[in-house]
Amino acid sequence: MSAVASPADLLADQLATARPASLWRDTIGNILRQRNAQIGLLILAILVFFAVFADQLSAFGPDDVLLGHEEGVKRLSGPCIHALGCAPTQVEHIFGLDGNARDEFSRVIHGARISLWIGFATVGFAIVIGSLIGLVAGYAEGALDSVLMRTMDVVLVFPSLLLAIAIVAALGPSLVNAQIAIGIVAIPIYARVMRASVLSVKENGFVTASRALGEGASGLIFRRILPNAITPIIVTGTLGIGTAVLEVAALSFLGLGAQPPLAEWGSMIGLERGHLFTAPHLILFPGIALSMTVFGFNLLGDGLRDALDPRLNR
Amino acid sequence: MTTYIVRRLLVTIPVLFGIILVVFIVGRLLPGDPCHILLGERATNAVCAEFNHKFGYDKPVLDQFGEYLTGLTHGDLGRSLRTNLPVGDLLISRLPMTVELSIYALLFATTVGILAGVISAYRRNSAIDVTTMAIANLGVSIPVFVLGLLLAFFFAITLKDTFFALPPSGRLTSGLTIVPLAERWGLQNTGGPIRAIVDFVSNMYTFNGLLSLQWNVLADALRHLILPAVALGTIPLAIIARITRSSLLEVLGLDYVRTARAKGLAEPAVVRKHGLPNAMLPVVTIVGLQVGGLLAGAVLTETIFNLAGVGRALYDAITSHDFAVIQGFVLVIAIGFLVVNLIVDISYAFLDPRIRLS
Amino acid sequence: MTRPSARMPRIATLIASLALVGAACTPAASTAPTSGPTSGTPTQGASSAPFDATSYPTTAVDCANMPAGYTGQISQIVAVDRLTVEFHLCKADVSFLSKLAFASSSIQDTAWLQAHAPDKSYVRKTNGTGPYKLKEWVEGDHVTLEANPNYWGEAPKAKTVVVKWATEAASRLQNLQAGGAGGVDGIDNVGTDDFATVQADSSLKLLPREALNILYLGLNVDDAPWNNEKVRQAIAIGIDRARIADNFYPSGSEAAKYFTPCAIPAACGGTAWPAFDAAKAKQMLTEAGFDFSKEYDFHYRTKVRSYLPSPTEVATDIQAQFKDNMGIKLKLVVEKDDTFLTDSSNGKFPMILLGWGADYPDVTDFLDIFFGTGADKAFGAHFKDIEDGLKQGAVNPDVATREGIYGKVNDLLIQHVPMVPLVHGGSATAWKADVEGAHSSPIGSEYFAVMKPGDRDQLVWMQNSEPSGLYCADETDGDALRICEQIFDALYTYEVGGLKTVPALATACDPSADAKVYTCHLRDGVKFHDGSDLDANDVVLSFAVQIDAGHPLHTGNAGSNWYNQYLFGGCLNAAPATCSPIVPASPAPS
Repeated sequence: MSAVASPADLLADQLATARPASLWRDTIGNILRQRNAQIGLLILAILVFFAVFADQLSAFGPDDVLLGHEEGVKRLSGPCIHALGCAPTQVEHIFGLDGNARDEFSRVIHGARISLWIGFATVGFAIVIGSLIGLVAGYAEGALDSVLMRTMDVVLVFPSLLLAIAIVAALGPSLVNAQIAIGIVAIPIYARVMRASVLSVKENGFVTASRALGEGASGLIFRRILPNAITPIIVTGTLGIGTAVLEVAALSFLGLGAQPPLAEWGSMIGLERGHLFTAPHLILFPGIALSMTVFGFNLLGDGLRDALDPRLNR
Repeated sequence: MTTYIVRRLLVTIPVLFGIILVVFIVGRLLPGDPCHILLGERATNAVCAEFNHKFGYDKPVLDQFGEYLTGLTHGDLGRSLRTNLPVGDLLISRLPMTVELSIYALLFATTVGILAGVISAYRRNSAIDVTTMAIANLGVSIPVFVLGLLLAFFFAITLKDTFFALPPSGRLTSGLTIVPLAERWGLQNTGGPIRAIVDFVSNMYTFNGLLSLQWNVLADALRHLILPAVALGTIPLAIIARITRSSLLEVLGLDYVRTARAKGLAEPAVVRKHGLPNAMLPVVTIVGLQVGGLLAGAVLTETIFNLAGVGRALYDAITSHDFAVIQGFVLVIAIGFLVVNLIVDISYAFLDPRIRLS
Repeated sequence: MTRPSARMPRIATLIASLALVGAACTPAASTAPTSGPTSGTPTQGASSAPFDATSYPTTAVDCANMPAGYTGQISQIVAVDRLTVEFHLCKADVSFLSKLAFASSSIQDTAWLQAHAPDKSYVRKTNGTGPYKLKEWVEGDHVTLEANPNYWGEAPKAKTVVVKWATEAASRLQNLQAGGAGGVDGIDNVGTDDFATVQADSSLKLLPREALNILYLGLNVDDAPWNNEKVRQAIAIGIDRARIADNFYPSGSEAAKYFTPCAIPAACGGTAWPAFDAAKAKQMLTEAGFDFSKEYDFHYRTKVRSYLPSPTEVATDIQAQFKDNMGIKLKLVVEKDDTFLTDSSNGKFPMILLGWGADYPDVTDFLDIFFGTGADKAFGAHFKDIEDGLKQGAVNPDVATREGIYGKVNDLLIQHVPMVPLVHGGSATAWKADVEGAHSSPIGSEYFAVMKPGDRDQLVWMQNSEPSGLYCADETDGDALRICEQIFDALYTYEVGGLKTVPALATACDPSADAKVYTCHLRDGVKFHDGSDLDANDVVLSFAVQIDAGHPLHTGNAGSNWYNQYLFGGCLNAAPATCSPIVPASPAPS
């Protein structure tokens, strides 16, 4: 692997650029000028808004079963919006009721909280561990590098969802275990990015320069390598959040992730799968929420990449 | 060039070994036990003790691993706990379905994706570009299971009894029988790898119909594959579209393209002769990387559309602790994936002189 | 029984065949019969060749001195002559004929079985006497059956039957609704919320199944705080069971008034379960000093059964009801499907949500399983007064007397509350409107031979799952047993869509005066699909392989022969504890 560059490495290499601190303001300005990033940030701002104010925005709790509480309540009933013609005698449920007569709107917006947590925690976990591995591999080179990168290859060879299913089956189904599984599957990506950064720093003579300046290993890492690596990691990470949310949702859909009564979107869709034709709103609303969230992160990631990669035409 | 290929091949061997080892251990780590799954919920502990002894599950893990490796060298992948069928047979009956589905999904994703990407790049920043990219982005964001469910609803129920109706599940309309190619070609008595390959191709119903010139079988099988292929291929399509666009844009901004334009070459020709071939390199990489994603998506697609493929079989095997099936399937899938990666790497070396000469 | 079909009961009847166990004991039994199946050519002249009768065990089991691990429902099965078989029982069994009709009691062909023994191909290939024969089994996709032209009974109406499967109810319904040639004609287990859809569609018809099952909330009387009888009695009235039945179950379901469904004779004597009264429940709990501050574990699994079509929803509702009605905080704990039964039967959980489906239509198949002497520890320690009552009821043949006895038991259940009976869950099959003869069987044994799918030759049926094997002595899943029932026949059978047993391969099985010996007369001229003739030795072997744990044909797919143990009480020649009776048969012979 050391002497032969793989295409994926070349791609990662393209993203590794050095960014002196004085250009940060320019960079942020660049980012905000990208249409992609603007829309992405807008969507995410809405998401964060719902996540933070979920309790205030919903009239009901996400776990409140309304059978026996509400007059004439019917589970699986469709949306009832007074402004759109639903009889004023009926209690308003913007997104309708789910299979246990819980308010779907409340569940969907509380799900925003959970999905944000899932996205950041999973990717954070993958970034921390992946970066560590990539750092060690790139810094040490030689046999250690080979072994580490081969291990990463082994993980990459497995189709992600299947490996995640196996890990969750071994650890027991729960949201945390699903996040760990998806995190583990994502580690090699960040390991590669970090390693490419380390290698490019080495190539550019920073190592010699920094040694000449009397810097130790920590100086090298914090002053040269990390700033070099931050950009590609942020871009990859932002795009990865969307993927992580989708994959944890897929595991929850299969019953291996979030467990009831947790209002996670993938789990909600999975539970109501049988009601697709009798209560499609229960698939539609969480589905739209999921898609929009991932869409927002993807747009933001695209915008970041467009802004931070000097080689693309602007 | 040859050294490059040889080096790549050598590198895959330890990876393969690592995969076998990991799968073996992970399989044994799965909690719960095959005894209760197979013998039913009421099996007593004494019965399970006998069961575990009979199948050797009470031996130390390393011993079991050794036995498994020995079996592998003889081409014996073991037997499924649940059905007692040889894993090899199960592979031949299940894998073709997934491969077939993946082929059509990939075909759909690459043709439509590259087309969309090229048009977007060509008409950069126009309404078409923005719309196409927005749809592509959205396509990446919709979960496969949501898309699959919605497609099934729309084409099977909403469009029921119209010309555009599509079946919501299954591979063939009931009553349409598939004659195995081996039978048709009189190969019933051949065995070994040739028979295995013929059976494999035979189980891909579209190819079966094509090779035996049965157009109704071909048509029926294709109709059943349309929805799953679209559902499965949507995410790769979006990714390919985006990569094609950005790659083409990047190439079109390079100096030699400017030179071509300066020389008076018309824009379409510029795109076709200079832009596309060079832009395809990252696209090829991405397409190769998508193959793995297809398999992951296949689990969900096969679940929703009730297709008896390898994704679903693997999911069932994992939840029922059918070790032999898990090990055998994952091994073959991993080998397949490694082969695809190898092909991508090698083709990349052909296309990019920088790699060849490095 | 988790199987919706009453296959189990059939096994019970099979036990009668245990008399033939003796014959099965000796592998030589396979060579003994001279009915000519070895060559595969039909020999009409059986009367000309001498009949080498077999019996199993060769020496009858001594009823007074039974071998360990055997409860001796059958002491010997004897082939008296080519067309006569005797079942010798150690004690009279009122449900013997029912057990004979069970799918696991199907009759196999001796020579064919032996020919297929070395490679165990009898698990995925078949040779029966039934109206359909197995044409192909495309693993993972479908099973095709074709009509048996030489069937001894009424010819099957559809030339081909294709069995497919889909685990999702929505997928099954979609397939039924989708038009086009070769579409699905009938589906099993219509989804709870799809009943209305099917009924509203004039091109489909909905056929409900009787709710011969019970969903219950189990309380472990050994674990605090449920070890306080007053607490349990409070819970008994603190759950609005009608709300669960109305919201989460299809029509045809009802809140349980007794543990046993009232369609079963003698089941519903005594007082009905007390009415829902949240205020009183809370008061009783407070008086009993219940600790409301703690959170208590509530264990369940997500496996779908006819008694529990929506596990997560029902569990969630119960959790909500405990909180709203009684102020008790419950924590939902999901258990793995496969280990839940074993763990709960070992008394591991303090509170569980589980159910039971009838194997055969008798009270002993409900009350005795859970509260009798042989019951497991799911509810903790047994109640002697209940056990005694059940012992009495099992031996008394008179329905009126039994109703009185079981009435007292029902009252004791209300007093002790080892569990709260919740719902009898209805289910249904759905068909295209033009399928004549379509029916639902209360035990899941739909019989395809009487169904005519409009003007089509092919009937397509879609069930929940793929069969794991077709050697039905060793299968437990209804989806496998149903297919067996199309391919094989037993001595008796259940009437189409009902529970009454009617003769099948036997023209009659006459009980002796003390009901301990059943003499079955076989129909003459019945042929297996491969052309061999049916004779008494086939009957002997079919039961012998189940009872003789050492027989080379004992194991099919699973090796558990569950139904044999359940209906007939254990095996012979087995290592101890590997083949013990699942539930002890009725008390020792009087």
